[in-house]
Amino acid sequence: MTVQHTGTAGQDLERIDGVAKVRGLAPYAYEHQVDNPLYLHPLQATISRGRIETIDTTQAQAAPGVVAVMTHLDAPRLAGTDDAELAILQSPAVGFRGQFIGAVLAETPEAARAAAALVRVEYTEEPHEAELRADRDDLYAPEQVNAGFPTDTRDGDPESAIAAAQVVVDQTYTTPFEHNNPMEPHTTVAQWVGDELVLHDSTQGVHPVRQTLAPVFGIAPEKIRVIAPNVGGGFGSKGVPHAHVVLTAMAAQRSNGRPVKYALTRQQMFFLAGYRTPTIQHVRLGADASGQLSGIIHDVIEQTSRIKEFAEQTAVPARMMYAAENRATSHRVAKLDVPVPSWMRAPGECPGMFGPEVAMDELAEACGIDPIELRVLNEPDIDPESGKPFASRHLVECLREGARRFGWADRDPQPRSRLVDGWYTGTGVASSTYPARRQTGNTARIRHDRAGRYSVQIGAVDIGTGAWTALTQIAAEALGCNAADIDLQIGDTDFPVATVAGGSTGTTSWGAAIIAAAQAFRDRHGDQPAVGAHAEGEAGENPAAQEYALHSFGAQFAEVQVHADTGEIRVSRMLGVFSAGRIINPRTARSQFLGGMTMGLGMALHENSVMDPRFGMIVNHDFAEYHIPTNADVRDMEAVWLDEVDEHAGKLGARGIGEIGIVGAAAAIANAAYHATGIRVRDLPLTADRFLA
Amino acid sequence: MTGSMHPTATDAATTAVTVNGSEMSVAEVAPHTTTLQWLRGSGITGPKEGCAEGECGACAVMVARPGGDGGTRWTSINSCLVPAAALAGQEIYTAEGLASSEALHPVQQEMAMRGGSQCGFCTPGFVCSMAAEYYRKDRSGCACGEAGCGTAPTTSDIVSAARVVPSGNELPWSLAVDDDARPLAPGLPPRTAVDPPARTEPATRYESTPGHEPETGPNGFDLHALSGNLCRCTGYRPIRDAAFALGDVDPRDPLAQRRDRPAPASRPLRLGSPGSAFVRPADLDEALGLLAETPDAVLLAGSTDWGVELTIKHRRAPLTIAIDQLDELRRFHVSDDHVEIGAGLTITEVERHLDGSVPLLAELFPLFASQLIRNAATIGGNLGTGSPIGDTAPALLALDAGLVLASSRGERTIALADYFTGYRKSVRTADEIIKSVVIPMPVLPLGRFYKVAKRKFDDISSVAVAIAARVTDGEVAEIRVGVGGAAATTIRARETEAFLRGKPWTAETFEAAAEIMRVEGTPMSDHRASARYRSATLAQSIRRFHEEVAS
Ligand SMILES: Cc1cc2nc3c(=O)[nH]c(=O)nc-3n(C[C@@H](O)[C@@H](O)[C@H](O)COP(=O)(O)OP(=O)(O)OC[C@H]3O[C@@H](n4cnc5c(N)ncnc54)[C@H](O)[C@@H]3O)c2cc1C
Ligand code: FES
Ligand code: FES
Repeated sequence: MTVQHTGTAGQDLERIDGVAKVRGLAPYAYEHQVDNPLYLHPLQATISRGRIETIDTTQAQAAPGVVAVMTHLDAPRLAGTDDAELAILQSPAVGFRGQFIGAVLAETPEAARAAAALVRVEYTEEPHEAELRADRDDLYAPEQVNAGFPTDTRDGDPESAIAAAQVVVDQTYTTPFEHNNPMEPHTTVAQWVGDELVLHDSTQGVHPVRQTLAPVFGIAPEKIRVIAPNVGGGFGSKGVPHAHVVLTAMAAQRSNGRPVKYALTRQQMFFLAGYRTPTIQHVRLGADASGQLSGIIHDVIEQTSRIKEFAEQTAVPARMMYAAENRATSHRVAKLDVPVPSWMRAPGECPGMFGPEVAMDELAEACGIDPIELRVLNEPDIDPESGKPFASRHLVECLREGARRFGWADRDPQPRSRLVDGWYTGTGVASSTYPARRQTGNTARIRHDRAGRYSVQIGAVDIGTGAWTALTQIAAEALGCNAADIDLQIGDTDFPVATVAGGSTGTTSWGAAIIAAAQAFRDRHGDQPAVGAHAEGEAGENPAAQEYALHSFGAQFAEVQVHADTGEIRVSRMLGVFSAGRIINPRTARSQFLGGMTMGLGMALHENSVMDPRFGMIVNHDFAEYHIPTNADVRDMEAVWLDEVDEHAGKLGARGIGEIGIVGAAAAIANAAYHATGIRVRDLPLTADRFLA
Repeated sequence: MTGSMHPTATDAATTAVTVNGSEMSVAEVAPHTTTLQWLRGSGITGPKEGCAEGECGACAVMVARPGGDGGTRWTSINSCLVPAAALAGQEIYTAEGLASSEALHPVQQEMAMRGGSQCGFCTPGFVCSMAAEYYRKDRSGCACGEAGCGTAPTTSDIVSAARVVPSGNELPWSLAVDDDARPLAPGLPPRTAVDPPARTEPATRYESTPGHEPETGPNGFDLHALSGNLCRCTGYRPIRDAAFALGDVDPRDPLAQRRDRPAPASRPLRLGSPGSAFVRPADLDEALGLLAETPDAVLLAGSTDWGVELTIKHRRAPLTIAIDQLDELRRFHVSDDHVEIGAGLTITEVERHLDGSVPLLAELFPLFASQLIRNAATIGGNLGTGSPIGDTAPALLALDAGLVLASSRGERTIALADYFTGYRKSVRTADEIIKSVVIPMPVLPLGRFYKVAKRKFDDISSVAVAIAARVTDGEVAEIRVGVGGAAATTIRARETEAFLRGKPWTAETFEAAAEIMRVEGTPMSDHRASARYRSATLAQSIRRFHEEVAS
């Protein structure tokens, strides 16, 4: 007997959580019913560096509805203060504008906010530095960059190779200071129940929150329960708990056991919830007249906060993208008196593919060859960085398929040669890549609840990626049943341990644990399990990662129109072709890709947090001024993918799709804008004034 | 006649908002509490707070507003901006109320099916904006473009077309087959092909020309309806798929039927306490009396400006006087020599009343904020704030409009050109209300509105230029140029106008005029645009006007 089950992995299943969400009934962190809550309004530093001399809370304490006002003078002492971002209210020192320096707890949000305005603070200001510049004399080499990558790499003698090259591109590119801006502001509802801390948190990982907070509060991780069934986006900014979680949990120590609710305002998010560092990228390429690369150098300058190091791995993709005998990369970091940077969608790859992919466009033009052919020509046989073979590298197929669909063959390479109705039109291409990693430390539990129905538990979180649906499908496939027979339970530390929803590792890492649990379940209980039968499974490392370099690839195409008179720029068409291993659910995958490309469009055209270095102030700290793409900015946009399976990416065959859609998108748009106007803009975002000749 | 002589009723019916069909009292709600805060605080948490300043639409709700035809128009607005008290007596719907306990609303059905919801935080707002457009009476047609057909492209079609089979790479694959070929799930064959989902839908595709994506679906759905809703997850395409797949409205749908009855009538109201009061006066006289008594009262119209003051700046007013439903401010009158537009009409309503009859304004409206904001923002409020980057002022200057200012002392009409006196300052005295905007008719035959913003839609202008002109016998007989964003107030480009008047209608003339225009005003540099860019845009607008009109 053979059965085809419905809703298993690979099938085009509608979102399981979709119905509750369209009804407006899916509860997010702030919306969980808690009894008798108090509301928190923070006090924030209004200087960029220095110390608090006096902080007068008398009026605030006396204001109606106020239960407590907490400052560094009286806040609970934290057990762990190694992470300076989280060690708030422990000293009078101020590390950046907007940092938490206290909190008001009151019966209503209105009362808390009104009272917060009554607190008087006097500071001693120290000189601050808030401007990232390449000519700073205090740039330093961090010990390593994020995800454990080496700070610098060097193969061969790229300087000499480039000096001797027939064609050279030597340019500096910059990417903006960007904020993740998930639609749901970061939110924490905290309550101490005896010696246990219960958090409803808007987070990308319930167990990571617990593990991070346990040492901060000096309690065992098991004493912290974190719940997050629905999360309104994260894009990295909810990947690690930020200071507001600590602030809320501290405040809940002053609330006589009452729960404390705090949702950051959109404005506060710009200072307190992480961001992508701006980067200054010096790219040098050397090639022969045919375009064959002999040298690649990618030197990156970026910022971190003086109080905590976060060193974006920007130059990492240049290490593996193209074949060239001589290669060097470096990262130099400025410690500034600014908010703490953090993860943002495709950290490393997203900014790090901008400079090199525009440089490749410049090289193609200098060599007089097509930018796609240039990339094909420099396609490596093996991973240039590790020397391992690629598990699956289909960049060329992506480029070719994209070229076919986009109509690239008819492209006239001459820039500034198509003026239609007052708009210059052009097209551009860029490559995309993102590593496929599996996180270890995931366990899933499967239980046969009643005849033919299984509950599957894992502490995974769906931040909008579709985990509710994809993990259900994976479980159904692994157990050999219909999706409708799976009762997936996620988003709670009461379920087995899971890693963060980030780095495109969620589905594959959690999925591997679910597959392991299904295998253990079948091994132990066979085909006819008794009701109540259960098993756990833990996913280890992907053994193939020892032998193969695992990366996803993609090709981004853009058509851009630039108004001849005003320089206004629009992206009239975008196409992304991706090779990301097996696609677990094409319906949710499509919008993951499209969403990533759209965020790349935002990076190209709009997104830019403007730092006023005189005040260490992010000037445009709201949605009125920090623009993300609207519906009208997204014109003809299509995402397609190669129908493939990566047999080295574990049993699932998938490599993860959360980030690849954003990588390369901005470069493709910038390249198209050059093709349209003949004006090469190397700094994002591509604002209208840059195109007024 | 003063307000205090007109005690107004505060009975239960007056102080209730009908939310999703049930009455909820706002009698105890403070005048500064926004509808969003109130709803969420009352357990209706479908509407979300994404920004609290009208930018994201996560808070959108649907309100029953006068349809202009004696019936009702479902209108989506930003609940984060409007005080709850201002909705007393009105009917609103949130996403929760649209579905019945068993069945999803068609809009919800499409959104859920097509993946229009990912993280879902923006979804209830999108659902409300989409539903309002779904119910628009003059939206017609079904998803395939043919009446009564009821088909739309399926998401399965779209995603299966998105799957590229690379030659030589097609691998049969199933998890259920273990490494050593031992099935985890007995009886499951290796998968060689992917089955479509259980739902089967007719496969029709709407056609789109690359680069010219439709803004109106085959079902008449105008995408501008979603312009005030932001989504960070989906890339908007699945949402658009849902919008364009909506069919005709079922005439048995109670919300559809509701459109045929009048919107709730305005009822006078008095809420709050001294020092924090909310009054909806019965008529203009009462409003003027109150304003004369309390000069620091805040006038509330669409609350798109006041709402931001409330939430972001945390301003509180001793007295809020709601003027948005005053009859005297909601009139629209056309005569031979002028059009008079009530100051309390929203931008959306003005657009509908004018129906393209003033092309300059017709060009402006779609560029003004977002549909959500336009549904609430009034034309009087746009002038009342005196913002130098308000969009209507430059256009109305070019149209030589006048304002009728009313106070308890009487009425006066002044030219808009004489109205602004400085940054957010005008000749309007503290006791005056803008009653109406008067546009002399016929308008000059040539009109153009140029708005340059950082983002094409849903953004405040960096620079806005409105030009109205008449060309007679090859000469510029009359020209008026209104400019926003180039000085502390909206200005007329007087030097440019003077130069052009009487000059031949030629490219050379306008080339020369552009250089004069370049130095009109005193543009500043800020993070929206540099002074240089602003000046360049001013110059370009003059050239562009000639170029576009000449062709
Ligand atoms: C997200 C967003 C985007 C926006 N985008 C644009 C844009 O693109 N272009 C643009 O021009 N504007 C834009 N605005 C501002 C625009 O919405 C307002 O200026 C609006 O027109 C004000 O009208 P209102 O009815 O909402 O006024 P309210 O907020 O109700 O009142 C605003 C002020 O005007 C006074 N006022 C209101 N009516 C009168 C009257 N009849 N007589 C005298 N005084 C009065 C009030 O006392 C108050 O101080 C935007 C606003 C937001 C929130
Ligand atoms: S909450 Fe963002 S528009 Fe209302
Ligand atoms: S679905 Fe997440 S913001 Fe729209």
